[in-house]
Amino acid sequence: MKEWKIGDVILALDNISLSFGAMKVLNNISFDVKKGEIRSIIGPNGAGKSSMLNVINGFYHPQEGSITFRGEKRKEMDVHKAAASGIARTFQNIALFKGMSTLDNIMTGRNLKIKSNIFQQAVYWGKAQKEEIEHRYKVEEIIDFLEIQDIRKTPVGRLPYGFQKRVELGRALAAEPDILLLDEPMAGMNVEEKEDMSRFILDINDEFGTTIVLIEHDMGVVMDLSDRVVVLDYGLQLADGPPDEVRNNQKVIDAYLGVSH
Amino acid sequence: MIYREAGVYKSTYRADQAILTIPQDRWFMIGIFAVAFLLIPAFGSEYWLGAIMLPFLILSLAALGLNILTGYAGQLSLGTGGFMATGAFSAYKLATSFPDMHILLVILGAGLITAAVGIVFGIPSLRIKGFYLAVATLASQFFLIWMFDKFGWFTNYSASGVISAPPMTIIGDIFVTGPQASLVTKYMFTLSVVVVLALVAKNLVRSNIGREWMAVRDMDIAAEIIGIPMLSTKLKAFAVSSFFCGIAGALWAFLYTGSVEPLAFDVNRSFQVLFMVIIGGLGSIMGAFLGSAFIILLPILLNNAPNLLGLSIRTDMVSHLEFMIFGALIIFFLIVEPHGLARLWQVAKEKLRLWPFPH
Amino acid sequence: MRIERDIIYIILAFIALMVVVPWTAGQLSDQIFFNWPFFFEVAIGGLLSGVMYSLVALGFVLIFKASGVFNFSQGAIVLFAALTLVGLHELGLPMWLAMIATMGVMYLVAVAIEKLVLGKLVNQEHIILFMATIGIAYFLDGFGQILWGSDVKLLDLGISQAPGFYFDGLILINDFDLFAAAVAGVLVISLAIFFQYTRIGRALRAVADDHQAALSVGIPLNHIWIIVWTVAGLVGLVAGIMWGSKMGVQFSLALIALKALPVLILGGFTSVPGAIIGGLIIGAGEKLAEVFIAPMIGGGIEEWFAYMLALAFLVFRPQGLFGEKIIERV
Repeated sequence: MKEWKIGDVILALDNISLSFGAMKVLNNISFDVKKGEIRSIIGPNGAGKSSMLNVINGFYHPQEGSITFRGEKRKEMDVHKAAASGIARTFQNIALFKGMSTLDNIMTGRNLKIKSNIFQQAVYWGKAQKEEIEHRYKVEEIIDFLEIQDIRKTPVGRLPYGFQKRVELGRALAAEPDILLLDEPMAGMNVEEKEDMSRFILDINDEFGTTIVLIEHDMGVVMDLSDRVVVLDYGLQLADGPPDEVRNNQKVIDAYLGVSH
Repeated sequence: MIYREAGVYKSTYRADQAILTIPQDRWFMIGIFAVAFLLIPAFGSEYWLGAIMLPFLILSLAALGLNILTGYAGQLSLGTGGFMATGAFSAYKLATSFPDMHILLVILGAGLITAAVGIVFGIPSLRIKGFYLAVATLASQFFLIWMFDKFGWFTNYSASGVISAPPMTIIGDIFVTGPQASLVTKYMFTLSVVVVLALVAKNLVRSNIGREWMAVRDMDIAAEIIGIPMLSTKLKAFAVSSFFCGIAGALWAFLYTGSVEPLAFDVNRSFQVLFMVIIGGLGSIMGAFLGSAFIILLPILLNNAPNLLGLSIRTDMVSHLEFMIFGALIIFFLIVEPHGLARLWQVAKEKLRLWPFPH
Repeated sequence: MRIERDIIYIILAFIALMVVVPWTAGQLSDQIFFNWPFFFEVAIGGLLSGVMYSLVALGFVLIFKASGVFNFSQGAIVLFAALTLVGLHELGLPMWLAMIATMGVMYLVAVAIEKLVLGKLVNQEHIILFMATIGIAYFLDGFGQILWGSDVKLLDLGISQAPGFYFDGLILINDFDLFAAAVAGVLVISLAIFFQYTRIGRALRAVADDHQAALSVGIPLNHIWIIVWTVAGLVGLVAGIMWGSKMGVQFSLALIALKALPVLILGGFTSVPGAIIGGLIIGAGEKLAEVFIAPMIGGGIEEWFAYMLALAFLVFRPQGLFGEKIIERV
């Protein structure tokens, strides 16, 4: 699709295995993510896709395997370090701060970039205020981009589901991430909303060059948007490659059609 | 008609982020300040100044502190009294150990010491949440009160056990504490301190740290994932909250009651401040003041109501009735408006925006 | 009910500490007198007073287990039940009739609470419900004292409060405390059976997990709550009778509830056996600390020792001994 923009591997996962007690959730998964691409992880429910994202941003720690990010190889990611080094994400069940407005929620995405300390903030006038306004500009750009201007002051708990998902995307974007992990960003949306979301994802990838790792169930969306796809089922890796290849892979077809294996 | 946003265009982010964005709000605030700084000291009676305004202001400060910790940062605390006591006793030790220290420094020092104590007792919050944390804060409450009671060092080994706050001046001959201080001076001093600190609180909650606190309150796991540091955010909440409560305690002992005793800061005080925060509205600066006013004025109302109605009720009955009405009111508020008086105030303002139209 | 090995180790560690620390203190300090019979006397006295705490804690556990509500007013319920019992008795009713009448009153209280408070706050956050129970506590407190007066009342069960010598005259134990322990034992066993094996018990556990889900499978929420609060009221009555006989029925009974909180933390909020074991550990720990450690620091540490113990425990095991592990998902 746009091979000229895709660069080298920035994230590599090697032989990742993750278990909770006796339950093995991920079994020897290996794939990589190249800079600037849109990479999808697909598979039937319970395949371990969300767990894979959680491993990438450090919420889960795998028992085996390694993660290589920005050239550094490590056994597991640390949540805080992941956030600080440019990995942002959205969640399957929205994890917004329900008591705050849209604007404030997206502003929390900027928290790692705000440098003023508590004393300066107590005084407010001066450095803290300057920073607030600076970051407000940035956040307003994102609000314009996502077309959510008229709900910027609404408490997020009152928004309809589709808008909440957009605000969550905004919060992730506010961190200006290099890698954006999207966990079922279109779940529960109708066709129009899905088209809007797809447009946003493509724009983010195009304009900002952000690498995107996407979990999604809608095959049409996956095939249209992705550069490469990795398929998981019951924690095992079934296929890895461009959408067309994966679509015709017999193992993948069997998994989705429910052929027992 | 009167209270409208129409025609008020904010053309800069600076204007949008201001504390008071509508001209009518600004006039209202100016009005309040005029009443507080000019009318009340000029015309207020001894009773009003000494028995109502002083405790109202000081407890509002404590309620601000608790609101920051519980309302904004979501850490339920029942240890407010203990921190107030820490402030009071720290102030006493500072004032008596360094007799030449200016009262503002004494109060500031008391606040800082209490902040440090607050950080120590806030450490469990990293592992413990919700009700468990509330019970843990009770540990700090009981321990601190016991400590101030038991160890004579805090009372400078006073024989009677009741210690009075030393007389101190702010400028020249104007006494702020002790028998020579006039009520008006005490009132103005307290008012100024409270106004400054309320401003600080408002600044904090509209800044980054305020958002970090609210994020921790609403969904701490997500907060951590987007990079908000749990440890420092929670400890900052405890530090700032204890700072406020410590200063409130110092003011209570030095300016209001004139004596420093642990009993004034027992677990009942903690509950009293918690009620102020609940009724006033969790997560609201204005709510702290509304709640404090409510809790202070209610007993007075209950005490005088029988007289006004022509009934005579035994005094112990009155206190039982107070308990009942209190409990019933809390339940009532939680059912009708869990966000407290502050939300009711906001709703009233919304209605005012539309008045005289119904919607 | 499976008991993890960890829990056994922790309990053994506690027991070890409770023996070793007093003994060491006795060796090290002149102010502290230690010999084995005396140690056992204090320990047993502590265990028995711990049983009394457990009785109050049980009421908390019931309500929390069944509705997820942390009932701050349990202490006030204990007080109210005791006051009603004694009040009715003083009005002339024979004790057995007064007990039955009081049980009826506690049922009415439960109905009132469900209609006026809980029913209106369905699906609010737990902290709101918690604060509502604080309101109930204040209300019951004032109401009870208006109804029955606030002087200390005597409650005589006919069981001797004097200590008797046991174990060949070596150790002093209170007959009454033993009786309380027996009562607690019976209560716990009945409650455990109730929760595990009856249909209502299962429904209660469902409600504790998720109000709306329980509603959607047809569990009548309000009936369940009335049942739970009535049972908690009855447990409170038992606790009130026990405590009331020991120290007279008076206002400070409500404060005992504050003491039950560390018990809950240690035992876990959702566990009936936890309330008992937690009570035993807190009771014994408190008494032993007061006798064998406190003289070195100046005494009176009973005010906060239980809390510090619970706090230390929380840091290492946030869910308590038998509580459910809190798992958070994103």
